[in-house]
Amino acid sequence: MPDRQRWTRLLAAAGAEPSSSPRRISELCVDRLGVTGAGVAMVTPVGNRGIVCATDEVAARIEDLQFTLGEGPCIDAVLSGAPVLVGDLDVVDGISLDRWPAFLEGAAAVGVRGVFAFPLRIGATNVGALDLYRDRTGDLDADELAAALMAADAIALALLRYRSDGTLIEDVDPYFTHQLQVHQATGMVQAQLGSTTQEALLALRAHAFVSEHTLVDIATAVVERRLRFPVEDQ
Amino acid sequence: MNDDKAIRVGGGGRSREQTLAEAFVSLADTLVDDYDVVDLLDRLVATCISVLDVTAAGLLLDDQKGHLAVVASSGDETRLLETFQLQTNEGPCLDCVKTGKAIASADLDADRGRWPRFVPASLAAGFHSVTAVPLRLRQQTIGGLNIFHTRVQALLPEDQAIAQALADVATIGILQQRSNHRSAQLAEQLQQALNSRVVIEQAKGVLAERNAVSLSVAFATLRQHARDHNLKLTDVAVQVVQGDLELSNIVRGRLAT
Repeated sequence: MPDRQRWTRLLAAAGAEPSSSPRRISELCVDRLGVTGAGVAMVTPVGNRGIVCATDEVAARIEDLQFTLGEGPCIDAVLSGAPVLVGDLDVVDGISLDRWPAFLEGAAAVGVRGVFAFPLRIGATNVGALDLYRDRTGDLDADELAAALMAADAIALALLRYRSDGTLIEDVDPYFTHQLQVHQATGMVQAQLGSTTQEALLALRAHAFVSEHTLVDIATAVVERRLRFPVEDQ
Repeated sequence: MNDDKAIRVGGGGRSREQTLAEAFVSLADTLVDDYDVVDLLDRLVATCISVLDVTAAGLLLDDQKGHLAVVASSGDETRLLETFQLQTNEGPCLDCVKTGKAIASADLDADRGRWPRFVPASLAAGFHSVTAVPLRLRQQTIGGLNIFHTRVQALLPEDQAIAQALADVATIGILQQRSNHRSAQLAEQLQQALNSRVVIEQAKGVLAERNAVSLSVAFATLRQHARDHNLKLTDVAVQVVQGDLELSNIVRGRLAT
């Protein structure tokens, strides 16, 4: 596992081209995190699902199984908005065996022993999940967990960079998720535009970019009611 | 993030011990039910303000990616939030989480060299002293409770003990949400709490705009609806953000209760 600064740079490089970044970031996870394979699935608010990429056939099978069966760690991660980390699928821990009987059978059949599913989300905006799997048992250590969480953020950001017309906006500080004003402003802009949360966040980011302000500055102006969307003369 | 005091304390000539005991009983009651963790943390912060006579308080959690994230704050003012958010890089709360020990500055002006960015921001927000106590789980520190005073003063030892007790309740609140004890559960629960906070802030924004009210009134509306319908605050927030629930303003009389 590379140090965090280096990992941040690797993720940024892999995220530079959004159309290929889920695949490239999945491959980075396999290279550096001691996992056997990785896959990314997209889930839209209306429930459409699709497999974005998988690093190998087993990873593809895991994604496929969950969507076919409607159960599994990835589905739970998307529904709950929190990671689902199962280092040993054989251990009866009160959750997995009750919840995913068919998934566990299917995963065991292809030699999967541990699964780590990370939601691709910002607040209420769920765009999908990153699934990592291992052919041996064992939890992710703290560094691997940090790296996987950062990888999920990078994929979510890449997927969020698409406007509804298919064009892209430039990237911003990945730690904007820690600025509460940004989330308050996202909610306000969502109501102003009558849009989804995802579109509101994009509008904020796009305006920050074209007006050469930071996202937090723009968000603060919205929260303090000095700025409304749609912005005139943009 | 709430102006109303969720836990009724103080007043009526009762002793502080009585007040404190009632606050803890109220928190303990909350832990028995199927509670919302961010709601609980907001109440803890409000309790902190009323019991300790401090000006502002906030809870920051380890985001497990090498930074701290705000999960509860006693107010929505930009300067207050920035004072917390700056501590992603430096400050007493970050030091507290790194060392697992309480960190204090009785006179921030004299501590400029210690935290060159945090101190000016705190002074600009009107704060002159600060204490941070850790949220500890065995050998691990998962976050910190940060309290601010407008005066230059050291927190009394008994007050620091109370702050630590409240921080311990916060830790229990974050971890007790699921009964099973898989080693991965801490990571899942920390991420869940942080994400709940984000959803609640988004919902506050939606309501503040749609109902033309302040963020704190929007929050009161969310909370009132959750209580009236026996729902979790986060679940109500998700419904609002997804457009499944329209909450109009609650009448003023209800807010005052």
